Amino acid sequence: MSGRRVRAITRRLLQGFRRDRRTVALLFVAPIVILGLLGYLMRGSSNLPNVGIASQDSGPLGALVASSLKSSSHIHAVDINASDGDAKLKDGSIVAYILFPADFTRQAQSGSVAPDVHLEGSQPGEDSPVLQALQESMISLASQVAGRSVNFQPRVHHLYGGRNYDTLDYFGAAFVGLVVFFLVFVITIVSFLNERSQGTLERLMASPLRRGEIVLGYMLGFTVLALIQSAEVLVFALAVLKIHNQGNVLLIFGMEALMAIAAVNLGIFLSMFARSEFQAVQFIPLVVVPQVLLSGIIFPVSIEPTALQWLSDILPLTYAVNGMRDIMVKGADLTSSGLQLDAAVVAGFCILLIVAGTATLRRRLA
Amino acid sequence: MNDAYAVDVEEVFKSFGSFKALNGVTLRVRKGEIYGLLGPNGAGKTTLIRLICGLVEAHGGTVTVLGRRMPDIAVLRHIGYMTQQAALYPALSVEENVRFFAAINGAEDGVREALGLVQLWERRGSVVSTLSGGMRQRCSLACALVHRPELLLLDEPTVGIDPQLRVQFWDYFRRMAADGTTLVVSSHVMDEADRCQRLGLIQYGRLLAEGSPADIRAQGGSQNLEEAFLALAGRRES
Ligand SMILES: Nc1ncnc2c1ncn2[C@@H]1O[C@H](COP(=O)(O)OP(=O)(O)OP(=O)(O)O)[C@@H](O)[C@H]1O
Ligand SMILES: [Mg+2]
Repeated sequence: MSGRRVRAITRRLLQGFRRDRRTVALLFVAPIVILGLLGYLMRGSSNLPNVGIASQDSGPLGALVASSLKSSSHIHAVDINASDGDAKLKDGSIVAYILFPADFTRQAQSGSVAPDVHLEGSQPGEDSPVLQALQESMISLASQVAGRSVNFQPRVHHLYGGRNYDTLDYFGAAFVGLVVFFLVFVITIVSFLNERSQGTLERLMASPLRRGEIVLGYMLGFTVLALIQSAEVLVFALAVLKIHNQGNVLLIFGMEALMAIAAVNLGIFLSMFARSEFQAVQFIPLVVVPQVLLSGIIFPVSIEPTALQWLSDILPLTYAVNGMRDIMVKGADLTSSGLQLDAAVVAGFCILLIVAGTATLRRRLA
Repeated sequence: MNDAYAVDVEEVFKSFGSFKALNGVTLRVRKGEIYGLLGPNGAGKTTLIRLICGLVEAHGGTVTVLGRRMPDIAVLRHIGYMTQQAALYPALSVEENVRFFAAINGAEDGVREALGLVQLWERRGSVVSTLSGGMRQRCSLACALVHRPELLLLDEPTVGIDPQLRVQFWDYFRRMAADGTTLVVSSHVMDEADRCQRLGLIQYGRLLAEGSPADIRAQGGSQNLEEAFLALAGRRES
């Protein structure tokens, strides 16, 4: 063991980084960006989920609990008509509504209340603030019914999903698409860089091939691989993991395919901004991690701080994840305007990237 | 523009940042000749060749190839370019590589002949990453000429090629020239320079001298091409 030889290796390593400012910058900037994003996401002034309150109580206590819910720090409560509840859940203007029945006051006086809680149910984690707010407002109820404790048994109904859905059912729908998107992106960006670094791209550029032909050829090649992978992932998710699926399997496959095509083109486009495979791999934390945090896979977009919602709204993965959940959890089909929008945005993003990738191809060669 | 020229480079400048790689180069390559580009490392030979096939754009001057102002994608199907480092797909076999370059030029029928020429027909099934350096160089040459281009740009094609094969390469180059193909060959090897019809000496991004090997000898005042070349290069420097 020679200290000098070991030092030589260490020094060589650090010397290389000195000339690759971008890698150094990434090494020190990326963790701050990612952690900062996470911090803002979880501690920033989150938007409260909209929850509808419909009180049909003939006594005074329903209104009392409703007003206590309106001052809750967990939800943003709005008055609605009980008959509008399901429609509002469907159009996404509320994530839940709470219904106090006509005999609510009498129930409270007899010591046991059972308000109806209707949850939209397609997003993970949206039910807990609702139930928490309701629980807390029950404390104000108990002080009104002097001398006795009130037993609280909400009746929870799900518009989508339901009790037999576990965490995997919610994440699974999004992850089926994400896994394909991520892997296809990495493979594309690295192999397009190979083409550059092994000098064959130079040869392609000196041939009659047009830029669009190169991008399209790549896209088709990787799409073939991606489709096979999509099919495999889908079969595994549905048959082995038994993730709940309400929708058409072909639609899921179509959405996966769109995501794969977007990933291929993102890889080609971003490879123009990397000089080595090393730099290409650095795009993963920059491109993939924020999208995973902000696309609604883990945290529902509706309760993100407003500034992050704007960011989420321009990320293609947000629409892709939403589309996957629409199909698998809500059972949406092509007549659903929400799914149409999701698919159109992802497809539009693909086209944008094809054009951008083609346009930057020659510029980066000289 | 004279139709007798396959390549017409007029007063071309090319800088990389503040560095002037080509500093007002003018040269003309006649149709059907073998034109040798000579010059020390860093002289600008590769840059000039890349300019001729439109891979880099000049900052000044014009490049005309086969009668068309470059860059022009339509001309590229008539050009074959062998890069200085063998640029091949390492995971593909020899034949798959050659067939690919044939296909993008629309000339699949030339594969067998190209592989025969570089004597890789027997090894056509070998994966490129398992080949020796010289074999890769040969495979790279096959990829450049598989579509029988009118203009063949060869950047140091015989580096790493053994002497017997080198002789065969030059025989073949001469036959191609006789059939009307124009060849631009960069080289450091003087006995190869002697086989060219005309030579251009490049240094510091400038054309120092141009002419047949005999002209160069006369200009450099030596019967030995190498000495003539060194004399011309030195004269300019002082
Ligand atoms: N992409 C580039 N960026 C910066 N400088 C470059 C680039 N390409 C070439 N150069 C510079 O231009 C000069 C000419 O390079 P070129 O490759 O044309 O030389 P050459 O004559 O082919 O040399 P060799 O015989 O070593 O192959 C060199 O000094 C080189 O450093
Ligand atoms: Mg060179």
